[in-house]
Amino acid sequence: MRATLQRFARETGDGYVLGLVRVVIGGLLLWHSLGSARELMTNGYFGDGFHLPVLPERLVLPRAAYTVLTAGRILLAVLVLVGHRARPALLASALLAIYVLLCDRVEYHNNRYALALYALLLSLTPCDRSYVLAAPAASADARLGPLWAARLAQLQASLVYVASGGSKLLDDDWRNGLVLADRVRRYGGQAIAKGVPEGIVSFVGRADVSSATAKLAIMTELLLAVGLWSRRARVVALWWGVWFHLVIQITSKVEIFTWLTLAVYALFVTHDHKARRLRYDPSRLKGRALAALARTFDWFGRFEVKAWEPDDIVRSHSVVIVRRDGTPATGVRALAMAARCIPALFPLWAPIALVASFTRGGEASSRA
Amino acid sequence: MFDPFPELPARARVAFAACFVGVQAALVLTADRRPDAAFGFRMFSESSELEPRLLREVDGPDGPVEVHAPGGEWVAKDAIGVPHRLKWSDRVHRKELSAFDAVIHASYGAKAQIARFQAAVDDVAAHTPDDAETRRLVVELTVRRNGRPGEKVRLVSAPRRR
Repeated sequence: MRATLQRFARETGDGYVLGLVRVVIGGLLLWHSLGSARELMTNGYFGDGFHLPVLPERLVLPRAAYTVLTAGRILLAVLVLVGHRARPALLASALLAIYVLLCDRVEYHNNRYALALYALLLSLTPCDRSYVLAAPAASADARLGPLWAARLAQLQASLVYVASGGSKLLDDDWRNGLVLADRVRRYGGQAIAKGVPEGIVSFVGRADVSSATAKLAIMTELLLAVGLWSRRARVVALWWGVWFHLVIQITSKVEIFTWLTLAVYALFVTHDHKARRLRYDPSRLKGRALAALARTFDWFGRFEVKAWEPDDIVRSHSVVIVRRDGTPATGVRALAMAARCIPALFPLWAPIALVASFTRGGEASSRA
Repeated sequence: MFDPFPELPARARVAFAACFVGVQAALVLTADRRPDAAFGFRMFSESSELEPRLLREVDGPDGPVEVHAPGGEWVAKDAIGVPHRLKWSDRVHRKELSAFDAVIHASYGAKAQIARFQAAVDDVAAHTPDDAETRRLVVELTVRRNGRPGEKVRLVSAPRRR
């Protein structure tokens, strides 16, 4: 136990991905603070009407001070986003967001509270050493920093799943699919409007299907809480979780919860900057295009992208990916590797990896 | 270059983590004690809806009677007899707490919405000085939990000083 705690407190790592998480959280903080400003301008100061403060009423700021606070939140969110004094800005943003929630309980939303908590934890990480606007890229050594608070943010993500899945498990209506069936009845039209086929909506609305889907949702939440921590199961858990949240995003109104959770998922990926290589044939348009796509969408910085260097790999390929262990991959296996590492392609990873598992093609070393 | 920001020493990190996890776990475990389960991450806990109806208790010829205030609006005289048009939504701005005679989704569950309506009816009753006629405000809710048949809930404000 003591050794575990010491490892937790002293673990250091590359903060490159933390910079990306900071940018997303900065954007979400900005979205929320702009929403508060819009609310202030259209509906007026919340304290002038009915509100339910958790704090004593005397601690709720008057209109002028609340207006300044809202402007301050916007400014802090911009600082977080661009990476200038990002950590103090994250800390201040988190504390102000919690304060605002405590001023009016009617405005409470789980995603707003979660955002404040993640901002607080992120302020204790080396999240200010990458994705910084108007600053030269920090070296790998400069990006090193303590990861204990990032681990705590991961733990918080698991706690959210346990709380949500556990409460559903203990609720008869949820377990039996009543809640889900009624939600489908109520919001089915909204899902259809967003592009979900009508047949799927009516199928999910059936009592037996709702019951099975409810059990699957509960199991998903509880397994994600654990699976995200397992080295072997993590990639599958992340893929399943991404789709779980994308489906929720399409079928429900959850404010920013989907994007927040997906941003926090980045904390679970292995922090290994440029540990893989992507080599491309600069004489081919396809090679140059794939390299440009990789550079644009490799937000975790997992690939060192360079033009082709002659070696013993078959020269008919536009792109070759060299894995962490040094083995090269081409074709569908390279695509599976790219999908696993590049966030925008990650939702496609499992089917591509499944196809790749049925072929020996793409193992460049075996063909050399 | 990144901004300098003090790092916590190792012991403080463990202490912070223990406090953080302890507080969050406590909030999750005690969520049931709060009507809105705030800070407890009970996502999509219910699929319930409410149909609120606003009534005013006023003096009738044979004692107090309840009259409907359609859409949450009514006309009442003040202490010197001048009539005023009053709106619930002038005081309660949230749509889900001011849409009367319509079906609304109970976000965060029926229990949360009932508690909020109770607080709102007390608040409105205490903040309508231009109404010298209404003795009490009453919100009648038809609550349908998870697709079940509706049940009536009656929320009454404290007696008003007129």
